Amino acid sequence: MKNLQQRLRPWLVKYLALPSDVVMELPRITIIGQLHVYIENHKGLAVFTDKELRLKTTKGYIQIKGSSFVLKMMLPEEILLEGKIAEVKFISG
Amino acid sequence: MKQIQGSFIKGYVRIVVTGIRPEMFFQECTDRGVTVWNIKREGRKTCSGNVKLPDIPKIRTIRREQNYKITFEQRRGYPFLFSRFFRRKEFVFSFIMSILLILFMSNIIWKVEITGELPKEIEEKIEAQLNAYGIHAGAWIFTIDPPAKIQQKLTDDIPELLWVGVRQKGTTYQLEGVEKIVVQEDKVEGPRNLVATKKGIIKRMYVSKGVPQVEINDYVEPGKILVSGTLNEVTENEDDDKKEKRKEIVVPAEGEIIASTWYEIDVTIPLKQNYELLTGQQEKKYYIGIKDFKFPIWGFGSPDYQDVHRDSTTSAIKFLKWNLPIDIIETTLSEKQIQKFERSKEEAVQAGIKQAKEELQLQLGPDAKITSEKVLHESIENGKVKLYLYLTVEENIAKAQPISQGD
Repeated sequence: MKNLQQRLRPWLVKYLALPSDVVMELPRITIIGQLHVYIENHKGLAVFTDKELRLKTTKGYIQIKGSSFVLKMMLPEEILLEGKIAEVKFISG
Repeated sequence: MKQIQGSFIKGYVRIVVTGIRPEMFFQECTDRGVTVWNIKREGRKTCSGNVKLPDIPKIRTIRREQNYKITFEQRRGYPFLFSRFFRRKEFVFSFIMSILLILFMSNIIWKVEITGELPKEIEEKIEAQLNAYGIHAGAWIFTIDPPAKIQQKLTDDIPELLWVGVRQKGTTYQLEGVEKIVVQEDKVEGPRNLVATKKGIIKRMYVSKGVPQVEINDYVEPGKILVSGTLNEVTENEDDDKKEKRKEIVVPAEGEIIASTWYEIDVTIPLKQNYELLTGQQEKKYYIGIKDFKFPIWGFGSPDYQDVHRDSTTSAIKFLKWNLPIDIIETTLSEKQIQKFERSKEEAVQAGIKQAKEELQLQLGPDAKITSEKVLHESIENGKVKLYLYLTVEENIAKAQPISQGD
């Protein structure tokens, strides 16, 4: 049953034009210049230092690197990061 | 950012977490619904962030479950400001004292103003009288009578005053007086007749000017000329030519025509009567009233009067220009006696006649004289005696009426 659901989801996104982040439980990342990164639908914090932020997702991690990081706001599934962003990387776990 | 709105009002604290992987503490916080913001990595083992003041107990429980050390750093927001304010006793004390002072000042008369075109001596008289009532600068507002009562008292006590308006405007008392000026009665100037105002039978006539047109024992209707102001002097010796050209001399007629008039009056007198009489014994009580609740402040216990007449005056305490919802209530308890009164039919008839006479006298004025009374009909209904009276009165029925002379 679960297998069927997982196979169905990409199909839904492709043919019914449903938003992929909702249907497939993927993180939605909004980046504003080098200044802000806004991540929704993450599964929790893994690492936070002033140079690195690592967040859990359904399929691995998101790694954000840069300098002078501050978490402006932290809510159960949302994070707003402020600082000088250098790179955003997906690490499959 | 909606989640951290209003945090200044409720207060927030910056906490510093020390331990291995301190960011996981904040992760735990957000999992339990505690909003954290401005998280910063301070060092290898420390991390700091802001939390709301109401969330502190939750943070304590999380700390107990895990191995972190937490220190509170900055305390911001109104709750902390307030506690800092209340910690300074002298500041709080002076604040309360100043409010009390304003409260005290707002309930004092500061000024008594007397306006109106009044001579100096009457103004001084009013001032003296007001002093006697206890109204002067520096008096408590709620110890003095309401303006309407003072108005009444002033006009009673100072006969020179025709009218006085008393108005309380905040902490000033404004009085406006009008002096009584004796005005000469307007007389009908020039030639005039005297005419009857009522029907009646002439009893006596005193005519000082004019020609009487009626005689004693004549019956007159209203409007009939009693004394004419036109004098027609006819001299026998004059010629016929002159007679035709004779001059009409008109004078203002003057005189008093006393006629006997009659009135028919209905009166109803109850056979039984209850009335209340104050014995003069009284006690005063003071309350502080907040809405419907009354708290006694002076005068405890109730007097052992059988019947009590209560009389309350309420005056609100003022703060600057507003009336506070707190009132000072003064209640006067007076002892009263209920008197029952019963009378026989004869007594009731007598009382009825007396009452009718008094009423009529009041209506006609002091010059009229009631000469006789007669009961035309009497009946008893529902414990009341109904009388139908016939009264004869001797009064002046003359009224001046100017003679219109044409051109």
